[in-house]
Amino acid sequence: MFATVDWDALLTVIWSALVAGIVVPAAYGFVILGTTRALDLGRQGRAGEAAVYAVIGTVGAAAVVAAIIFGIVVLSAK
Amino acid sequence: MEGELLTVIIVVATALAFDFTNGFHDTANVVATSISTRAMAPRLAVGYAAILNFVGAFISLKVAATVASDVVNPEDITLLVVFSGLVGAIAWNLTTWYFGLPSSSSHALIGGIVGAMLVANGPDAIFFETGIIGKVMLPAVVAPTLAFIVGGAAILVLYRIVGRLRPRPVTSGFRGGQVISGGLLALAHGTNDAQKTMGVIALALVAYGSLPASDPTPPTWVVVSAAAAIAMGTYAGGWRIIKTMGSRIHKMDSAQGFAAQGAGAAVILASTHGGFPLSTTHTISGAVIGSGAAKRLSAVRWGVAGNIVAAWIVTLPAAAAIGALAYAVTRLFGTGAAGPLVVSVLMVLGSVLLFSKRARHGPVVARAEA
Repeated sequence: MFATVDWDALLTVIWSALVAGIVVPAAYGFVILGTTRALDLGRQGRAGEAAVYAVIGTVGAAAVVAAIIFGIVVLSAK
Repeated sequence: MEGELLTVIIVVATALAFDFTNGFHDTANVVATSISTRAMAPRLAVGYAAILNFVGAFISLKVAATVASDVVNPEDITLLVVFSGLVGAIAWNLTTWYFGLPSSSSHALIGGIVGAMLVANGPDAIFFETGIIGKVMLPAVVAPTLAFIVGGAAILVLYRIVGRLRPRPVTSGFRGGQVISGGLLALAHGTNDAQKTMGVIALALVAYGSLPASDPTPPTWVVVSAAAAIAMGTYAGGWRIIKTMGSRIHKMDSAQGFAAQGAGAAVILASTHGGFPLSTTHTISGAVIGSGAAKRLSAVRWGVAGNIVAAWIVTLPAAAAIGALAYAVTRLFGTGAAGPLVVSVLMVLGSVLLFSKRARHGPVVARAEA
C-alpha cells in the first residue's frame, strides 16, 4: 500500500522542516540574547563583553535573514 | 456550449467562494498567536496576513498540480463533480466555523471532490494509493506530528538561550519576532492553500476543454483571482476560530507564539516545496500544542485539543458525504446549469442563515480580543 508513496520527498520535507523550524528560531533567540546583553553590559561600562554579545546578535540576525531569503528563493525556483 | 459556459462560470465563482471561506476560516491559523500574545493588534494582524497570503499565492504552483492531477483522474472529471466537491467543502467549512473548530479546508476540498467523483464515476476514478494515501493521508499524519515536535523542540531551545535574561526585553523581542514569523506563516499559507483553489479551477477548465488533462497548469487569471479571493477572505477574518487557536488550547507567551509560528511556517513551506497539499490548520494546531506541551503538559487544554483532532478525523468523510449528496441533487436537474444554479441558491441561503444566527451573539472582534 505504501510502495507508491514518494518517501524521498517526504523525508526531505521532514529533515528540512526540522532544521528550519529549530535553527532559525534559535538564531533569533541569539539576536535577543546578544542585543539584551550588549545593551546591559554597555551600560555597565564593560565594552569588551558588550562587543562580543553585539557580534552574537548580529550573526544571529544575519542567519535569520539569510535563512528566510534562501527559503523563498528555493520555493520560487520550482 | 452556452449552457456549459454558464456552468463553468458558476463553478469558478463557487471555487473563488470556497477560496474566500478558506482564507476566512484559516485566518485564525496565521494571526491567532500574534493576537493572543499582543504582538500585533487584531485588525493590523489580519490585514498584514491578507497581504502576505496574496503574495504567497504567486510563489509556487506545485500543490496546484497535485490537486489537479494526483488525487482524482483528471480525464474523468466533469464540471458537476468539481462544483459538488466545492459545495461539500464550503458547507463543511461553514459548519466548523459555526462551532469555532479549526478544521482543515484542504481536506474538506479534497473530501468533497472525492465524494462527488465516487458517485459520478466510481472508485476507479480516484487515485487512492498515490493520491489519497501518499499525498493526503500520510502528510495529514506527518505534518501535525512534525509541527508538534518542531514547535516543542524550538521552544525548549529558545528557553535555554534566553532563560536567564530579564523578561521585558525577551517579551518585546519575541513580539517583534512574531511580526516576522507571522508574516512567514501567512506567506506559507498563501503558497499552500491558494494553490488548492487554483488546482480545482484548473480541473474545471480541463473538464470544459480549455486546458489539456496532460498539463493542467493554471493560467495567470486563475492565479490572480485565487490569490485575491484568499486575501479578501483572510481580511474578513474568522474571529471565532481565532479565539480557539489563540487562547483556548493554552495561554501562550510571546516566545511560544514565535516558536509555534516558526515551526508552522517551516513545515508548510517544506511541504509546499515537496508538492504535498497538507492542512495548514493541522500543522499550526500541532505547533501550538507542541509549544505548550514542551513547557508543561498540563498547560494544554487536552479537551479542546481532542475536539480539534476529532474535527480533523471527521472532515474528509463528512465533506465527501456532502459532496456526494450535492452531486446527487445537482444531477436531478440534468447535466446543464440548472442543478448548479439551484444548489448555489440553497447554499447562499444556508450561509446567510448561519451568519445571521452567529451575528446575534454580538461583535466578534471584541470577543476575539477578550
